[in-house]
Amino acid sequence: MSNRIISPVGARFVGQSVQRKEDRRLVTGHGQYVDDIKVPGALHAAFLRSDVARGRITKLDVSAAREAPGVHGVYTWQDFHEQFGEAYHVMMGEALVVPPPLAIMDVRHVGDPIALVVADDRYLAEDALELIELELEVDQAVVDYRTAADDSDNVVHAGWGLPSNVMVAMPFMPLAPDLDEAFASAAHVVETLVDQNRYNCVPMEGRGIVATWNQGRGEMDIIASTQSVHETRNFFARYLDIPEGNIRVTARDVGGGFGQKMFVFREECAIVLAARAVRGTVKWIEDRRENLIASGHSRNESGTVRVAVADDLTITAMSVDHVADVGAYPPCPAVLDPTLLTGPYRIPRMGFSMSMVWTNTMGKVAYRGPWMFETTAREIAIDATARAIGVDPVELRRKNLLSFDELPYTSAAQREMVEITPLETLDQALEMLDYEGFRREQEAARAEGRLLGVGVSVYVEPTSMDAPSLHTEGATVRVEASGKVVAYLGTTSHGQSIETTMAQIVADTLGVAYDDVIVVQADTQSTPYGPGTGGSRTAVLAGGAAQRATESLREKVVAIAAHMLEASGDDLEIADSTISVKGTPSKSVTLFEVAKLAYRQAHTLPADVDSSLEATVRFRPTRFPTWSNATHICVVEIDRVTWRPTILRYIVSEDCGRMINPMVVEGQIFGGVAQGIGGVLYENFVYDNEGTPLTTTFMDYLLPTAAEMPHIEIGHLETVSTTNPGGFKGLGEGGAIGSHACVTNAVSDALAPFGIVVTKTPLGPNDIFELVRAAGHA
Amino acid sequence: MKPAPFEYSAPTTVAEAIEALSHDDAKVLAGGQSLIPLMAMRLSRFDRLVDLRRIPELSGCTRVNGTVRIGAMTRQADAEHDPIVAEGAPLLAKALPNVGHYQIRNQGTVGGSIVHADPSAELPTAALALDATIEIAGASGVRRVPASEFFLGTMETAVGDHEIVTAIEFPVWGPGSGFAVEEMARRHGDFAVVGAMCGVRIEGGTVAQSAIAMFGVGSVPVRCGAAESMLTGSTVDGLDLGAVAQAAVADLDPPDDLHASGAYRRAVGAALVERALRAAIEEAGHA
Amino acid sequence: MHEVALTVNGTNMRIEVEPRMTLADALRDRCDLTGTHLACEHGVCGSCTISVDGRAVRSCLMFAVQADGADVMTIEGLANGEELHPVQKAFQAEHGLQCGFCTPGFVMSVTKFLETTPDPTDDQIRDGISGNLCRCTGYQGIVRAVKRAAAELNGQS
Repeated sequence: MSNRIISPVGARFVGQSVQRKEDRRLVTGHGQYVDDIKVPGALHAAFLRSDVARGRITKLDVSAAREAPGVHGVYTWQDFHEQFGEAYHVMMGEALVVPPPLAIMDVRHVGDPIALVVADDRYLAEDALELIELELEVDQAVVDYRTAADDSDNVVHAGWGLPSNVMVAMPFMPLAPDLDEAFASAAHVVETLVDQNRYNCVPMEGRGIVATWNQGRGEMDIIASTQSVHETRNFFARYLDIPEGNIRVTARDVGGGFGQKMFVFREECAIVLAARAVRGTVKWIEDRRENLIASGHSRNESGTVRVAVADDLTITAMSVDHVADVGAYPPCPAVLDPTLLTGPYRIPRMGFSMSMVWTNTMGKVAYRGPWMFETTAREIAIDATARAIGVDPVELRRKNLLSFDELPYTSAAQREMVEITPLETLDQALEMLDYEGFRREQEAARAEGRLLGVGVSVYVEPTSMDAPSLHTEGATVRVEASGKVVAYLGTTSHGQSIETTMAQIVADTLGVAYDDVIVVQADTQSTPYGPGTGGSRTAVLAGGAAQRATESLREKVVAIAAHMLEASGDDLEIADSTISVKGTPSKSVTLFEVAKLAYRQAHTLPADVDSSLEATVRFRPTRFPTWSNATHICVVEIDRVTWRPTILRYIVSEDCGRMINPMVVEGQIFGGVAQGIGGVLYENFVYDNEGTPLTTTFMDYLLPTAAEMPHIEIGHLETVSTTNPGGFKGLGEGGAIGSHACVTNAVSDALAPFGIVVTKTPLGPNDIFELVRAAGHA
Repeated sequence: MKPAPFEYSAPTTVAEAIEALSHDDAKVLAGGQSLIPLMAMRLSRFDRLVDLRRIPELSGCTRVNGTVRIGAMTRQADAEHDPIVAEGAPLLAKALPNVGHYQIRNQGTVGGSIVHADPSAELPTAALALDATIEIAGASGVRRVPASEFFLGTMETAVGDHEIVTAIEFPVWGPGSGFAVEEMARRHGDFAVVGAMCGVRIEGGTVAQSAIAMFGVGSVPVRCGAAESMLTGSTVDGLDLGAVAQAAVADLDPPDDLHASGAYRRAVGAALVERALRAAIEEAGHA
Repeated sequence: MHEVALTVNGTNMRIEVEPRMTLADALRDRCDLTGTHLACEHGVCGSCTISVDGRAVRSCLMFAVQADGADVMTIEGLANGEELHPVQKAFQAEHGLQCGFCTPGFVMSVTKFLETTPDPTDDQIRDGISGNLCRCTGYQGIVRAVKRAAAELNGQS
């Protein structure tokens, strides 16, 4: 495989774990998250939210709240009626409208915003909320998405005149003409119901926005905790019906997003309207309870997977019938991508159906790997299938996984799989574990009555996803008068180390020091348009844009230097900010000297030499998506007394192409894996039968702590991608995508002595106890 | 998530504190680690908070009349590291590290936790297991309530609205004692889903004294008298700890909640009692 | 309104607060020290961890009026001028942060943890930082950072 691994020859920074540019301000408490930004005279907002899942508003009287101390405004839907225009995100399309910011006649989920108070501070705003008189006539809520489609008595959006709770229903579609025959003639057909619980992004910093209306200029200035300043700006240009140029959206530091901050929600709309109403600044900082209840929920989907297997263990067909809960008002319903269902496998026939149903719960939003269920369903089903037919799940995978040498491979859904290493990562991960050794250890442990299990999960990740509005990314790179370099990117970092990784690329491409490159992003007034940071797209798209723009800038530098050195541009090289004639290092000029001439003595340049030291590129990869892939393996032991599962080993073998910064790559994997482990073993967002959320604090919605997290071992393969000049692939979501099925499969394997096959999460101690009890063993 | 307004008093004597509590809808502020979150969520509100942290006499651990006396405002972290506690009330010393995280124990107080009376909390259970006495001061003087009569319901105790707990006295067990705490919490530092605390004192191979208390199994921590009577007076070698543990949970009807079913609490609770007993007996044997 | 006199990062301050204002809010709004972050406001996440009279505490679980006379240190007071504290350096060196929002709380907790546990095992480290939540790192870089900081602090002493 060595011929596929690029050695970073000529690269000084790319491929190195250089320290992050972001860190110094963040470790000293000088980050600027949205709540840290003080705008003189800013007013503070708080929302009155529904504590009822479904009901009609029979009384809403805000008069007492309007008279409360420190209150500047109290708003209900009437105050914002016809105050706004089109409300949609380009990525979601015009059909998915963001509902009016405040509930009009009825409420459709707990947390539904009903009124907004704007006051001198948040304490006073919350005081005034208590003075609002609200009466609701409660209706039966639709809570369980598995039965919602059949519930015609209770319809979430009856108020819109809709007849049922079905948002989308696509009937079964076979992607091979002989699919039925393949199932009918298979030696084994195993059906598995995979059920994934509701768990959520939960960034440590909630959402937040500071909106300032400048009445004189007709401008809206927005500082937001967002993953996309540009799409936020474009959204509000439509929403307020003012030119994009009259809106500035910035973000300084953003405390995590994971998908939740990719879209404008109703609350941000309300705050922007309130700022225009008060002709000043309104700030809203979402608190944790709001974030848990009302900031977009995720996962909560299930699928019936059928796998047909021949006697020689070849998988001949697969089908998936998928149902997902989108809640009441989904900012991003995260549609199933059926082309990902077969993943990295050689499965020649496939079919699927899908449906998305509304419920009276918080709406769905994208969460790190919004297409992870495609992996979750397949990988859990493969383990269940292997168990049912009595073979080792690794053997079944090995028989059917694609290897690099047989690519390109066109899948049943007509996806071309290239530049991936599924079988190779499986082999590396198995070797890291010593799989055979583990199976022997497991046998001995089982003889002692211990419950030890291993789980595997293999996936491909469609990084820089193929959504038309996400196809490009822009970069402007400039040599400043001092000879230092600034790269303006369309990204909005919220933890991805973009200032660091993009500076590495620019520094190498231009031939300057890493410390001499500053990355500017998340400011719509200075940076090129970018649709947002998410979908594992930064390395490929922003990286490609940064590299191409820097290459173009380098040509301009070389042209001026060639004039100064009276040499041919082809004979010049740049290193350490010095442009010299190859083989004659004494004949050189510094980048500063080039800049000095360009900025101050441009008149000395010939007319055909451009004095601009700036280049802008919009980059579009050659192909979509850019596949990356990985294998996860973990070992779990379940305590026979408390039924607590503990992860003893966690191994990831991944292939994200050429690594820009291995430290950052590994950090992304650690964090993603933690979210998958959390989702299976600890985190579970629960509603009761009335639609009342029960996990509304960090006492009940359990993020894993350091004491719950295993040490994660990572192996790397570097198969270069040809979609972009750097050979990069994305990897931000993979850790989260692979880990759910991996942990679930390990728990299932641990419980195999009881005859238990686990296909449903969460898997806390009580869930495992109930499984064991149902099997008659506790 | 901001508290509703209140008045604030920081008395420097117990008498001033009792006086301050007699007005308004006043509430004692001890360490605040449970109270302040409830106020931040506006699930609790008071006209006045009476902060006891500036009353020096309410803090400190001493050995008095065969007991370890802990001032109610003694911070949990201080009790945790106090040799008087480690020597005289080892069960309490073992329970304390399970209370939240160290940042919480740096502010949280021993008395505050006991008065808060969360049925899943460690310190009320330790008080019950050790037959502690809770000293309560009010306008009419000081009264002393045994732990067995102190916990009345979930977050409900024998302390009156205008009273404060001033100290808790934990009887010192004699030589030959062993203690153990076993609990199942979802995560490190969380309140227990279910837990058990056991103490045994062994004289010449016979259990001379025993205590089994469980938490997370009802509205208050529970002493398991029937199980204790199977232990006390029996020779250690002949004990069937599994049977004792089953007896401990025989009469319990633990609640279902978000984190576990009642059935889980019973089954796992029994196993934890057995584990704790085994550890306590082991420790007593080496004492 | 109550007047509260306290020392923050070595500077004597007098601030006016309502009794209900948490110490965290007072530091952020009255003292302009926004490095202390609020991520749950109910005492679970540890983002608001500061030192009060030498002890690590949650500043969302304390009212500012209670801090009258206290000696407070926040994340902004940890570095010695431009020279970062070994814990801060270690977080940087070991990629102990990504979005950085939880980082001030972690750094303050770890600094205090290492004062009482100067040579921690891996289990002690994971226990010692379990009162702080991070959503980005999976804690692996943080655990490494604590080890590195312990080694550096031990080398210094």
